[in-house]
Amino acid sequence: MKLVTFVSDYKMTVDTLDRLKPEKLGIILCQNGVFHATTKENGNSSSLLNYTADYYVLKEDLESRGLTAENVVDDKVKVITFGDIVDLMFNEYDKTAWL
Amino acid sequence: MATTKLGFIVQRPGLKSENQKLALTHAIASQSVEIYLDDDDEVLCDVAFIGDGVLNCIKDQKTLENYDLNSTESHVKMGLLCDLNIFVCKEDLEKFGLSESDIVMDANEIGGDMDVRVVPYDEITKMMEEMNHLLFF
Amino acid sequence: MGKLTIGCFASLVGSTNLDFAVKLSAAALEKGHKVDLWVSGNGTMISIEDQRPFKDYSSLQKPLEELMAKGLNVTACEACAEARGYHENNTLEGVKRFSMDWYLGSAFDADRMLHIGGE
Repeated sequence: MKLVTFVSDYKMTVDTLDRLKPEKLGIILCQNGVFHATTKENGNSSSLLNYTADYYVLKEDLESRGLTAENVVDDKVKVITFGDIVDLMFNEYDKTAWL
Repeated sequence: MATTKLGFIVQRPGLKSENQKLALTHAIASQSVEIYLDDDDEVLCDVAFIGDGVLNCIKDQKTLENYDLNSTESHVKMGLLCDLNIFVCKEDLEKFGLSESDIVMDANEIGGDMDVRVVPYDEITKMMEEMNHLLFF
Repeated sequence: MGKLTIGCFASLVGSTNLDFAVKLSAAALEKGHKVDLWVSGNGTMISIEDQRPFKDYSSLQKPLEELMAKGLNVTACEACAEARGYHENNTLEGVKRFSMDWYLGSAFDADRMLHIGGE
């Protein structure tokens, strides 16, 4: 399956993402999940960026937290809008998971 | 005839939120969904408890006695009575030192024929792949 | 164009999950998709009329009314609403109330589905 997951928390309370095995995985960082894209702890990027996945971060939720694309610490994370999410859901993935 | 399959994945313990109850009550609602469908169309729901969610399945829950609320155990039994496939992740049970004897496994006392299936996570992955849509709780 | 079914079980006030669901609905409608929005559990709070907007709380009545005028189909879980004292006579105009099987019926012919659980 081609699965796009929505990560909306900075501290995850479930380990489901570790165990999903889709043939294609997308990770959309939204709400407080955007901090995975922008924040280093003790100099280290979030371990959530270590999956084999396509990464996206929601522009509106970055900006709402005083952040911009310039704060994204890893080039593999693409800044997107709600419209882009719709296109990803319909064109790139067949299932979704809000974790 | 068309069939849509929905996978309800419960990954958190209950009672601190409505998640586990709403997962089961929505899945059980597949019994009456035909009023919205054409003849012969159907929606089938499978339920899987994974991670901390397996803790919802510990038996002898006395939620009704203590909080006047239906227990998750009773909802699992109702799901079995409605012939839902209900899976519990074997590895996660073992992680908590639990086995089949610790969890609700059947609904025999209310006439259910189905049993809870304790399966390796790989089987739950396979179920998720077979579903049209996934709902994580 | 396709059909998107969104379910949101989170409260109107607190998590911005319902804000997310409404904004995603708007984006999908803008692109010509059909959108069903199902609210259940604490999510039914969005279905009450006459909520006074304060800037310290999410307030979605106005955008919801605008989106329903553009075709957004919003349905609240009737039992969840009644359990919270949200009755037919104080439901926002245009919002429907049905039992949980409505959500599954919407999922039946949805091309895509996003389920946003509760808190």
